[in-house]
Formats: sequence, C-alpha cells, structure tokens
Amino acid sequence: MLYDVRHETRFKYTGAVSISHQLLKLRPRRSNRQNVVGAELSVSPEPAVRNSWVDYFGNEVEFLTVQEPHRELVITSTSKVEVLPGMNIMLDFSPAWEVVAQSMQTPTNAEALGASQYCFESPYVDVHEELRDFALATFTPERPLLEATMALTSRIYEEFTYQGGVTDVSTPVRKVLEIKKGVCQDFAHLQIACLRSIGLPARYISGYLMTHPPEGQPKLTGADESHAWLSLWCPELGWVDFDPTNNLRPNLQHITVGWGRDYGDVSPVSGFIFGGGKHEVSVAVDVLQSAGGGV
Amino acid sequence: MTEPQHAEDALSELLAGYTVQPGTYDELMGPDGQPRAHWHNLLTDFAAMGTAQRCSAGATAESLLREHDVAYIAAESGNRRPWHLDVFPLLIAPDDWAKLAGGLVQRARLLNAMVADLYGPQQLLKNGTLPAPLVFANPNFIPHCHGYQATDGVFLQFLAFDVARAPDGSWWVLSQRTESPAGIGYTLENRIVTSRSIPDQFNANNLHRLAGFFRSFAEYFARLGDRHLSTVLTSGPDDPDYFEHALIGRYLGYPVVESADLTVRDSRVFLKTLEGLERVDVIVRRIASDASDPLELRSVPGIGIAGLLQAARSGNVLLANAIGSGVAASEALLAFMPSLARHLLGEELALPSIASWWCGQTRERNFVLEHADQLSLHHAFARSSMLTAGAHEFAQSDPDLSDPDALKARLALRPYDYVGMERIKPSTVPCLNEQGQLRPVPMVMRVYLAATEDGYQVLPGGLVKVSGKDFGGSTHVSKDVWVLSDREIERETLIKPLRAATLKRSDRDLPSKTADDLFWLGRYFERGDGGVRLYRNLFLRLAGETSLGNVPVALNVLTALLVSQGRLSATRARRALASGSRAVEHEIWNILFDPDSPDSLAHVLRNVARTADHVRERLSPDAWRIIERLTSVPNLRWRVHTVSDAVNVLNDLVESQSAVNGLIHENMTRGYGWRLLDMGRRIERARFTIRVLRELMVRADRDHPGVLGLQLDLADSVITYRSRYRAEPQIPAVLDLVLADESNPRSLAFQLATMRAHMDVMPQEDVHGQLSKAQKILISIHTEIILADVDKLANTTSKIGNRTHLNRLLNRSESSIETLTQLITRTYFSHSVGHRVTGSVIPEEPHNAL
Repeated sequence: MLYDVRHETRFKYTGAVSISHQLLKLRPRRSNRQNVVGAELSVSPEPAVRNSWVDYFGNEVEFLTVQEPHRELVITSTSKVEVLPGMNIMLDFSPAWEVVAQSMQTPTNAEALGASQYCFESPYVDVHEELRDFALATFTPERPLLEATMALTSRIYEEFTYQGGVTDVSTPVRKVLEIKKGVCQDFAHLQIACLRSIGLPARYISGYLMTHPPEGQPKLTGADESHAWLSLWCPELGWVDFDPTNNLRPNLQHITVGWGRDYGDVSPVSGFIFGGGKHEVSVAVDVLQSAGGGV
Repeated sequence: MTEPQHAEDALSELLAGYTVQPGTYDELMGPDGQPRAHWHNLLTDFAAMGTAQRCSAGATAESLLREHDVAYIAAESGNRRPWHLDVFPLLIAPDDWAKLAGGLVQRARLLNAMVADLYGPQQLLKNGTLPAPLVFANPNFIPHCHGYQATDGVFLQFLAFDVARAPDGSWWVLSQRTESPAGIGYTLENRIVTSRSIPDQFNANNLHRLAGFFRSFAEYFARLGDRHLSTVLTSGPDDPDYFEHALIGRYLGYPVVESADLTVRDSRVFLKTLEGLERVDVIVRRIASDASDPLELRSVPGIGIAGLLQAARSGNVLLANAIGSGVAASEALLAFMPSLARHLLGEELALPSIASWWCGQTRERNFVLEHADQLSLHHAFARSSMLTAGAHEFAQSDPDLSDPDALKARLALRPYDYVGMERIKPSTVPCLNEQGQLRPVPMVMRVYLAATEDGYQVLPGGLVKVSGKDFGGSTHVSKDVWVLSDREIERETLIKPLRAATLKRSDRDLPSKTADDLFWLGRYFERGDGGVRLYRNLFLRLAGETSLGNVPVALNVLTALLVSQGRLSATRARRALASGSRAVEHEIWNILFDPDSPDSLAHVLRNVARTADHVRERLSPDAWRIIERLTSVPNLRWRVHTVSDAVNVLNDLVESQSAVNGLIHENMTRGYGWRLLDMGRRIERARFTIRVLRELMVRADRDHPGVLGLQLDLADSVITYRSRYRAEPQIPAVLDLVLADESNPRSLAFQLATMRAHMDVMPQEDVHGQLSKAQKILISIHTEIILADVDKLANTTSKIGNRTHLNRLLNRSESSIETLTQLITRTYFSHSVGHRVTGSVIPEEPHNAL
C-alpha cells in the first residue's frame, strides 16, 4: 500500500522569538515493514543551522536553529511510504515468555544484544512491581510469548478508556494504570512498561495511522494524527508490533516514523525557544493513499 | 630531667592509649608496635607541642573553616552542616604513594577507554567482556551521546577514586567517580587550613604541594581551548558544591557561569557578556549530564543549555567531563576491571578492587542473597557519595536495603540495580581527640586525577574521611593527606593565580548575569546603608539626642520619612502617630527587626547575603567575611532591648558597611563589574537623597532648625556644613550642600557625576560614536542640578507653602533615575530564559477504531 504523508507543525507566538532550536524526528525510516520512496522537510523561516544525522536508535534526526526574529514557525514533512504486508505469524508458536526474558540477561548474538537495551527503565517507562503484577495476570507460566503479548494488548484495550485531555506527556505510567484512561501514547508506554517489568524487550514506535473515510464521504484533511504503538522482540521472528489503542497487530494501515525506548527518544518535534511570549501549536497530519509518482 | 628523656615522655603521653585493633593495618604503628619511620618527624613535633597547643591548633582550624564558611550537605537530612577537620594529617611514604598513584593512573586510562568504547563501537558488549544490562540498565548511560568524538580521545578529564587499605597494607579501590567528581575543593581547603593551623610542622615536612597538579591540567586545557573562553558551569549557589565550583573557577582563572549565561548559536557555545556574545570552547561541567541539554535530554528548570549536545557533537566545545561520563562510576563495574584491563589495555590490573558481586548475574545474585548479612549492599547506579558519609557509613549497606524480605523483592524485580560488597576492615589512622591524644580510627580516602599533556596525573594529596564517633567527635571528620617525598620539594604557592599572564583589564568576559548580581549587590548595600542611617537618626531623635543640640523634630515628620522611603504604610503611620512617641518607636522597632516584613532591615540584609553569595568568587575573602558578619546582625534581635541597644547594633552595622565599602573601593579592579556595582549604589543613594529632600525641604510649613539638622544628619553632611558655614543651618545653604555641591560625596550632584563617568566607559550598543540614551539622560539632569539656583529653589513657594521649583526638580530627578535604571537593566542584563515547546498534540477525541 502506497501512502502520501504530510505532517505540518505550526507554531504561532504572541511575541518575537529571537532564537529557536528544533530537533526533528519526522522522516519515516525504512524497515522490514515498509519502504520509504521519498521524504522532504521544509522549514519556514529558513534556518541558519541545519544538521542531520542518524541517532543511536537508527532514526534520522534533523537539528535546526532559526536565529532571525520570527512570530511563526512552520515545519512541513512530506513523504511517500510503501507499507508491505506483514508475514503471517502463529502467535501460539512462540517460545515461553520466561525463556526470552532469561535470555535477555546474557544476549548471545548481535540481534539479541540490540534488543536487550529495550528491557529496562527509561525516562518515560517505569519498571515497577505494580506493572509486573498487572502483566503477570496475563503472562501465566510458560505461556507463548506472542500469544501472551497479544492478550495483554487486548486487555489494555478492554480495561482502559481512550480519553483525551486527562493525561499529558509527563503523566507517569503508573498513574495511567491507576486511572485506566489515556491516549495512544499512554497505552503504548503502559504496555511497554508491563513487558519490561517482567524482563521482556519492548520499544516505542511513533508513526501514523490511516483511518478509513466513512462510506461515500471524501477523506477529511487533517483528520489524522500522530500515532504510537509498540514492538516486542521475539527470537527468530524479530520485532513484532502491537497496537493496544486499536487492539490489533499493525499491518497495512500503520506507517512507522521511528522508534526508541519511549516517547522521549522519538518525539517528532521538540523545540527550545527564547522569547515568543505565549505560543500556540497546531499539528496537521494527512495520510492519503497515493496515486503513485514522486513526492 | 634531660631533654631526650623529656621528649620521650611527651611522645608516650601523645600515644598513651593508642591501641591498634588486632588484624588491622594501622597507618602509624608498625607490626612491631613502633611508629613507622616516615611519621617520626611529625610525631616528635606534635609531642613537643604539648596538649594545650595541640588543642589550640584544632581550635584554629575550626575557626578558619567557619570563617571560610566551609560546609557540606548531609546525606541523611539534606541540611547544610559545618565541615570538620582534624589537623593531624595522614602521612604517606613516597614508595607507598608511587604504587597507589601508578595503579590509579592505569585505572583512569582504563575507564576512559571503556567510556570511549561504550559511546563508540561497543566491542565490550559485543564480545561479552561487559554484560549488556550493566550498561543498558544504567541510567547514567546516555544513548544520545553515542558517537561523540572526544578531543584527544579524552572523555574523562577529572576522576576520583575512593580507596582503603587492606589489613596486609595494600590499597583497594572502593569506588570510581567519573561524572563530575566532587571534593577537590574540600581537599584544597583542608590543605590551606591545616597548613595555617600547624605552619611549623607543615614547613618541616618535605611534602608534595598541590599547585603543580592544577597547573598541569590548566595548561592542558589552555592548549585545547586556546582561542576562546573557558568556563566553569555550575547550577548556582544552591548547589551543595557551589563553594567548590567557585574555588575551581578562581583557581583556574575561569569565569563561573550558570546555564542561563550560555547560549548556543551556529552550533557553537557563547557566553552572554556585557559586550555581547563571547565564544566558549571549554566547559568544566559541574551540572548533571542528564540535565545538561533541555532540548535533547531531561528538562530541568533553570539548568542546561539547549543545543549543547549538538555543539559537542559538532566538535565545537570541549566538555570536561563529557556528557554521559557517569556510566563508568558504578560499583557494579569493579568486578569486571581485571578483564577490562586485559581487553582494552592488554595489561594486568595493577590495583585491586574490593570484592563485589553484581546482582545482574544469577550466580552473584544468589551469593548475595545467601550472604546478605555479611556483605554491604548498595544501589549499583546511585551510590551516595563518600563526602557525605563517614568511613563507617560508607562501609555499611544503603539504609533501604537492610531488610532481608524487601531486599529479596527488589532483587526479584530489578536485580541489575544492586551490588553486594565485601565488608572491609579498613586501616586505622591516628586522630587527635579532644584531650589532645591520638586514637586509631578507620578511614577511607579520596584521591583525584586529571588529564594533562602527559597523560593522567594524580593530585599528590587527598581527602581522608573518618567517623568522629570513633573518637568522641562529630560524625564527619576529614583530614589532609601529606604525600612525602625523597627529593627536595619546590615550594609552590597554592594561591598563585594560574592565568595571571593573560592581561585582561576590562572584564570583557563578565557574564551578564553576574553583572546583574553585582548591580543589585550595590543597590542592596546602599538600601541597607540608607536604612541603617535613617533608623539610627530616628532612634536618636526619639531618645532626645541629636547632633545639632536638642532640637526636637515633630513625630509626624519622622513617620512621613519612613512612609516616603517605603518602610511604613501610611495607615500604620497614622495609627502610631495618634498614640504618641512610644507607638512610633514600636513601629520602627518592628520594621527594623521583624524578619517577615519585606521592608525590614533583616530582609534587606538577607538580599545582600543572597546576591553576595552569587558573586562570591569576585569578592575578596575579607569583604566576604565582613558581609557574613553584617548579614548575621539582624539575628541578634534577642540582644536588643532598649533604644540604646538598638543604636549600638545600628552603629555596628554602619561600621561593617563602611568596611565593605572601603574594601570594595580599595580592592576591586575598575572593570565593568565594579562600575555596575557602584552604579547600583549611586542609584539607590540618589533615590534616598531625593526622597529625603522632598519630605523635609519641600514643605515650607515644616521649616524648622530640627528638620534642617535631620536633613544634614541623613546626608551625613553635618561636619561639612559646620566647617563651611559655622552657623545655624540655612535653607539655601543646606540645599546647595545636599543637592548641587559636587564636592560632597553624599550630594545628588555627586551621584549623577559619578554615574556619568561610569556610563562614559561602559560598552554601548549600536550608537556609533553618538551619545547613548542613558548618557543623554544623565547629562541633562546632572546639568540641571548643578546649574540650579538654590536661592530661587528655596524661596519660590506656592500659595499653600510648597517649594514648587524644588519639588519639580526633585520629581524630574527621580524619574530620570527610574529611566536610567530601566535602560541599564535592558542594555546589560537581558538574559531571557528559554523554554521548551513541542510539536506534539495529544488528540482530544478518540479515533474511530479500525
């Protein structure tokens, strides 16, 4: 499935901003699930500094500094991404979860070593008894890893209410567990925290979701948002994605931008500004099925 | 009795009761029960001193420490506690030290190579030399720093090791500090205090001086960052180690800056100074790694520089130590040091570590669980510092790990977070007890290393911590360490500034935040000074004595003065006036000493203390000592019972303030910093003068010899007036003296003239040879004041009896001063605080599920 993605972030300030540093993680990355046909990033006003590099987690990062006074900053990322159909996985044909957790303590090959760094606490993800106990209700002894993970995904979907405005980026995972409400980011963090609290490697995925327009209506521009889900590492199979917000395993409708230990590693746009007074930010994401051709 | 016999008696008195525990190595006593040879000189000297002199040396040290205001933050309470020092130093013999130092240099090279690998190829993880969780579960491993190219390959410029001596006399490493190792300031302070408390003994021993060490790494930094500025980056006076940051800055000749002083542009770091942005290429980092860049890392209000990581990544700034250096500081690493040495250096580890069991490994975890009661248990990645603990506490388990069931639960959930360590029996060191006798006390020692041109160098000295409980003293006691030498030591002074050769006359690198603090320090000083003079005069008049004979001043004039200076509300003044002079006295009493009143003297002096603390490294030790005394005066309220007590306290304050003024005037270089401080004073003095004049001189119905006397008293101009006029005060003459006479340092004209002179020298923004706005304002009002016709000012009155010309002139002067203050603030201190913005929006409405 070929998609045209447009992600626009617009900052408006009541006063002039004298200097603005921005760290952008907006370029969709290549993976076994998708090819990136093309990607472009435009910024207005034109930044004085523009550097890009590949970060520790393999995401392409762009750092820029706008040094001229401005009252509006617009960052637009456009890309064309081909999402590949996922392989068919038999969830119950995976190793017992304890075996995988145990193997993470002494990873024996490069792939396992890479996965093992996603087993521990990170700034937005706790490793805690409450989270472990919540996970263990599903991760019964010797249950196949992927089956148990999917069951946990479904449990979060069923027991938690999707509700905006009750949490923000700084809401701790344990608070989410307590209030049983949140948005995609909270659910992804929660499931990751549960998995890590029993020693399993799980990472945070930032990306987009294609929502189907209602029958007979045109697709609304700007109706889609940044989305977040998670990926779990399983020996032999590699990374397998799960989406607790929608109770499914991502397939053709999920477009990956990047991954890391948690939101902090892949936040699409983070900025630090001087001046500016009050600011307002608006984000518009369009994910349209592509007619083909270039970006 | 013969002399040798006497000396022997003194020695046995000093050592009476010095009993070494069996199975313990004692630093002083050899296995034969006789003192080791290298202690001979010191021991003889100390014995000869006699008990009284030994105790008095101890008292000297304590009072020097109080005077230098050395304190530490206690781990258990988080409170500031005075630092204690036992003047009897630890002596280390030359060959013994050489072995220790050599082993520590190898460790420093090893840890640096390890950090370089972890932030680079990670071969150690790939080949299994280090278990992956030891790095990935370590919160001090900062993935964002991966790929950082360190200048000269040096990630760790500063290191510290905590060591102890085993029963067989060999040294063991207990912990390795690599993030921004603290304590070197205490080490210097201990050396200074010890050498002053026992100067003869200090000079009689041939011991290594500390200055060479500082010179070596300062020279190395100077080469690396030669073209631009070097700075010490601190989180500010609230940091427990701020005193040390200031000391390092003073020692290296680097400005001590806070995060808000620095900014990143073009991926380079700049210091905001009075003359604009100055490029910075070396930062001695004394803020936490994970708080050093709010753009990429943790966002902590007021700390960190947005874009710093990017600047470091681009190779435009050297950070000492590199961000993320703390990854090497874990005790969990100790057990892996031998194999790391073989892998990274191809060498055998020279200096052993204390035995340890990292619980991230199954076998080790089980061992720890089985032997928990025989080990000391610690957090592997968040160990409390030795500086806040004595030797005993340091060897004990972290308090939250002592319960066996809780420990089991913790190890089940996050085993990698804990490490078990052998309980050592450290060597004992002689300490002087209160009776002036020596007692053996268990010790740990911290030793410092720095990167230099010739590789790592060890500071030939260190910081010994003992638990005072072991000899009847306070909990935390430290000692100086004297490393003895076989060869004659070059006597280097410790105080010599290292960068004296660099000629810098204008304070060009004065950070604008420091400039701001100096400006406010000047203002608070003067507010305190004006306040003290005002209150003193009021009290004297209430008590019925004045310097111009017994001319009483109406109570309403006194209270009006307080109201005009913003010290008393109009309502309270009216109420007090209605109840008579006792009530007015009571009000003044309240304003003076009520610590909660924002207008109280205590409050003003607290502001002096706070701002002085911010610029401490720019004040001379003498000035600092007097400021300390000055700001502690209002706490003496309990001593003040009568008006004459109050006057005495106020007299003391006036004296202290004059002393500080004198020191600043005599000792501070005439750079921008001094000028701003002085301008702060001038602004406040001008405002004070204007307000007093308006209250006492504008209303002709208040004309009275007592009022004129008060006016002269408040302007400190009584003597001048008398010597000049030898007559009862006349209004035009008083006005001339207080307003327009430039030769009177308390006149308004003098303040304006002084400020004009300052502003002519201060850097101006974008005026290209023209006068700046501030200069124009000053010239205009100054001219008006000196050209004023005092007779006309005195004699032009309105129908209701107000001196209208005088009033208008004073109003214009006051608003000029206000505008000038704003201009100075805007031009020199505009350090805008940045904030974080993100482009993420949490969706408000649920999506339609697929």
